Amino acid sequence: MAQSESSVNKTKLNHMNRRDAVKSVAFLMAGTLSATTIGVFLEGCNPNPAPNKNLFSADQEKTLAELADTILPDTKTPGAKAAGVGPFMAMMVKECYPEHAQKVFLEGLEDLEAKSNKQFNKSFIEITAAERSKLLNVVREETIAKQKAEKDKTELEKKQKQSTIVQKSEKEEPGKPLAAKERYKETPYFFAIARDLTLLGYFTSEIGASQAMEYIAIPGHYDGCVDMKPGQRAYSS
Amino acid sequence: MSNLNTKATAQNTYDAIVIGSGISGGWAAKELTEKGLKVLLLERGRNIEHIKDYTTAMKKPWEFEHRGRITEANKATHPVQIRDYPYTEFNESFWVNDKDCPYTEVKRFDWYRGFHVGGKSLMWGRQSYRFSDLNFEDNLKDGHGVDWPIRYKDLAPWYDYVEKFAGISGQAENWPALPDGQFLPPMEMNCVEKSVKKRIEEKWNKSRIMTIGRTANLTVEHGGRGKCQYRNLCSRGCPFGAYFSTQSSTLPAAVATGNLTLRPFSLVNHIIYDKETQKAKGVMVIDSETNENIEFFAKIVFVNGSTLGSTFVLLNSTSAEHPNGLGNSSGQLGHNLMDHHFRAGASGRAEGFDDKYTYGRRANGIYVPRYQNMGNDKRDYVRGFGYQGGGSRGTWHEEIAEMGFGAEVKDLMSKPGSWNMGLGGFGETLPYFENRVYIDKTKKDKWGQPVLAFDCEFKENEQKMRIDMMNDAAEMLEAAGMKDVQTYDNGSTPGMAIHEMGTARMGRDPKTSVLNKWNQIHEVKNVFVTDGSCMTSAACQNPSLTYMALTARACDFAVSELKKNNL
Repeated sequence: MAQSESSVNKTKLNHMNRRDAVKSVAFLMAGTLSATTIGVFLEGCNPNPAPNKNLFSADQEKTLAELADTILPDTKTPGAKAAGVGPFMAMMVKECYPEHAQKVFLEGLEDLEAKSNKQFNKSFIEITAAERSKLLNVVREETIAKQKAEKDKTELEKKQKQSTIVQKSEKEEPGKPLAAKERYKETPYFFAIARDLTLLGYFTSEIGASQAMEYIAIPGHYDGCVDMKPGQRAYSS
Repeated sequence: MSNLNTKATAQNTYDAIVIGSGISGGWAAKELTEKGLKVLLLERGRNIEHIKDYTTAMKKPWEFEHRGRITEANKATHPVQIRDYPYTEFNESFWVNDKDCPYTEVKRFDWYRGFHVGGKSLMWGRQSYRFSDLNFEDNLKDGHGVDWPIRYKDLAPWYDYVEKFAGISGQAENWPALPDGQFLPPMEMNCVEKSVKKRIEEKWNKSRIMTIGRTANLTVEHGGRGKCQYRNLCSRGCPFGAYFSTQSSTLPAAVATGNLTLRPFSLVNHIIYDKETQKAKGVMVIDSETNENIEFFAKIVFVNGSTLGSTFVLLNSTSAEHPNGLGNSSGQLGHNLMDHHFRAGASGRAEGFDDKYTYGRRANGIYVPRYQNMGNDKRDYVRGFGYQGGGSRGTWHEEIAEMGFGAEVKDLMSKPGSWNMGLGGFGETLPYFENRVYIDKTKKDKWGQPVLAFDCEFKENEQKMRIDMMNDAAEMLEAAGMKDVQTYDNGSTPGMAIHEMGTARMGRDPKTSVLNKWNQIHEVKNVFVTDGSCMTSAACQNPSLTYMALTARACDFAVSELKKNNL
């Protein structure tokens, strides 16, 4: 029913995990959403989220703003802090993630602070932008390594499982070959969630969508082949 | 007392009742009112007024608190709707609360529903393709299902009729398996799509073609409605009226006749059967706000409650004469459930177009009509598939490292990235008798009604087809010069394509079908079913246009029969 539009969106995102494509908002193109984050987003929900519980301390909220600005800093255009991504991230973690992912996120935030104290003897909000980048890159590399280990493990399990399935008749595993892929059950990672929410929050903010990117509310017509202008920005939508 | 009853009955009596206000129900209301009948249009959900109630249509990205994502609270009330992409913050209120309307999954079935005036006509994908005789004859030729009681020539004038009113943009191709229609000017392909089209058609010497999607989006002003503004925000409701929906198109036409009564919050529980006349005399409605039971009466009833909604109403309309559901002596009601299978195909990166970009957001893609099992093309399965897809330039950049961040990443992501081209198959599913829904009395919905149970799966024919859906796509993309071509099969669960069909099928023989060639219940002549439940086979094209044509045709027949006093 709603396929055409979405299939276009989906098919253009081949390089990425397909599930990202399916769930990603069209204006955040390939490469911006991690499977892990999407998985967390899709996973079983917390049916009774405490609506007024403060997840983050005031200092942690400051950290989130600096963290976002480390991911997308000021360049020619204002960065994530100016675009309000810190508070956005805090709100999103509270409202759109299940409890266990919130816990992982909080632990990651505490770990980031601990790393900063250990390495620089200062809080994350007190160190320089260069130091923040350096620190965050460590977290990034740790996250990639953990995800890779997890992916290898999943694929191994999948292979083992497949070899057993082959021996079962279609009756025992009805419809299995066509079963829609399971929602991601991967562990949520702090850095993946933070990066994903920063990209989402920034490129859909007024600053990100209309200064970093080009926002045209009502294009009015379509032209399938125009020359790139010097300094051409990507369209937001 | 009896006077009061008589008066109440008179007040609740119409010439025709239409159950459901989506794509086909809107058409039934329009056609019947325009032919002079007093029509009661029943809708189980709330009203949504055209333009005024499209509350998110003009919002900017940053005006959505969660930027399109759904919250934990949404997930709790919509456990089925969250399974796939359509359910987002952008049109959250258009999707059903699954907790109010549960169902039983003997096997997984993803049931996407929108309960409001306009139904899924507000959120549909708008791709509009005719069926051809290839489709109408497949059942007869390969022996799956029963023969369609109609052929293309029976429906062709009605396709013309509904296309002229709905406004379908597209390109005539003279492709036998995908008949041309009454098209508004086509949308434009972008430069990558044009190149891919040319190379595919050269390589296969036009035994495969690629055309721009035929879509119910207006490329020029039409029937008092505005043209597409290329925002690609259709599923929020269009303030320009630029795509076909009940609200933009059929409802205003029906209202203009002065013959329409629209009643939202009217959940039809069952159709009332009169054993004296052997006809339906009306329907029993549960007011979905007050829970009050109300009866309405009419000479004819059109059932347009969506494939499975309609099937539920018929199964739930039991009587001594119809113990297994209205018009179900064949035992076919609820059986032969079909949906398209999709989410398999390929995509690749286009090189050589880095100096080109697009302007505007086209709410449409390209279409490769079915070419398998036609002419000399033979496969190890029956039927076939078509492709939807498109080329586009996103913000993916090769230079961005995995989970990269920082100034450089930000600036790169603000620039147009690589061009990509994708083809995603939509495959035909065979009508299997054992794929079915039935009433499960162990569970109740919010209004105390029993629920539907789903027992449906794709089988070997579909599975074999999916391999070709991947490989053919890759072959064509490679032939078109795409780089890094990758195939995918993300699995497809029945229901996901939101093209459910077949559970009250048309046929020639009352022993093996529920409806005759006029969409009339064989055994209950004044009841017509013209939504997706009537489909004898699924073909691989998006089916809504066919529901429109069948509905208009059935309305014409019903009114002529009424005039002849045959109903």
